[in-house]
Amino acid sequence: MHLFPIVNVFGIDFDLAAIIAILVSCVITFVVARLAVRNLSVDKPSKMQNFMEWAVDFMHGTIASSMPVHKVRPYLALGMTLIMFIFISNLLGLPFMVVTDAHEPIKWLGIDQAYLDSHGGAAHIAWWKSPTADLAVTAGLALVVFVLVHFLGLKLNRKHYLHHYFHPYPVFFPVNIIETIAKPLTLALRLYANIYAGEVLISTILMMGFAGIPFMIAWQGFSIFVGAIQAFLFTVLTMVYISQATVHDDDEHVEAAAAKH
Amino acid sequence: MSFEPTNTIITIVAFLILYWALNKWAFGPLFGIMEKRRQLILEQMNSAESSRKQAEASMAEQKAALDQARQEAYAILEQARTTSTKQADDIVQSAKTEADRLKDNALKDIESEKNKAIAALRSEVGGISVQIASKIIEKQVDEKSQEQIVNQYLKEVGSK
Repeated sequence: MHLFPIVNVFGIDFDLAAIIAILVSCVITFVVARLAVRNLSVDKPSKMQNFMEWAVDFMHGTIASSMPVHKVRPYLALGMTLIMFIFISNLLGLPFMVVTDAHEPIKWLGIDQAYLDSHGGAAHIAWWKSPTADLAVTAGLALVVFVLVHFLGLKLNRKHYLHHYFHPYPVFFPVNIIETIAKPLTLALRLYANIYAGEVLISTILMMGFAGIPFMIAWQGFSIFVGAIQAFLFTVLTMVYISQATVHDDDEHVEAAAAKH
Repeated sequence: MSFEPTNTIITIVAFLILYWALNKWAFGPLFGIMEKRRQLILEQMNSAESSRKQAEASMAEQKAALDQARQEAYAILEQARTTSTKQADDIVQSAKTEADRLKDNALKDIESEKNKAIAALRSEVGGISVQIASKIIEKQVDEKSQEQIVNQYLKEVGSK
């Protein structure tokens, strides 16, 4: 198995591979988005702009499926950032791998003689991976969503948000707490497990040598699909959670009735 | 596979920065453009609607003008017809009056001629009766008194 380069600075461990991956994902996401909005035009959009507008419309429709359409606007940029960042992150580990072999103990990476001896005298250090194949990274994303959901719930819908913990009866409080915790947990684990499993399988197929090429083609294609699905799922679930926390049905009925008259 | 809490923190920070940066430099302008386009389309639809209304109004106006022109033409035609009828009537009337006038004149002429003839006849009859009377009287009156009477008559006749 590959070893990830972990550096210990002031007693804190930093996973260089994950940090590189996060930064690369962020940079690619930002560059893609910037390229798409270069030479913005109202009446003559470029192909990239067209594509990005299609993506925004798609995201708008997706968010609108979980909450009333007039509340979508503030979450549109969040949804776009999430889906782009996660999708690009998911694809990042697919095309290639950067592995260095260390035959000598490297102190600053935490590779000592004992590790080398136990791994046949060489440590394979993987410098490249999908950031989302790391549970710590997906946990970070889930944490952002978790904090955001509860902050928005408290800010926009305090009464019903707090009431929801004791719904339908106060005795359900522990169940609701479990549900609240389970949401970000499943969010993080689902994304991580899907992408990590994909990368593990890629490493496994690599061991087959040339015979594995057809499998590799199939699995790479499927991984792109999975990456898209997982990015979409993460974003949709985020929006559903936000909607659950901030939108109260009764308000909607009243508003809808008011809108009709 | 180890769980590195630093990754979590770095992810959160990186994601927040990415969100902020994208919002500021990518999605903000993009949404602005999309909103602008929405406005533009709305505007164009409104202007299309207003120009359609304008076209309808001008069409109605033209139709009204056409109707008016047609009415006017009809009125002119009608007027011409009535004028011609009236003129014909006038001509007939004037012809009739003229004929009446001529007839009256003729009647008057006839009357006056008749009166004249009657007068002439009267004088003639007077003369003849005088002659007859004189013929009758001739035998009884002498030449001298006869001449006197004749002269008197002549005088009478002459003074007439």
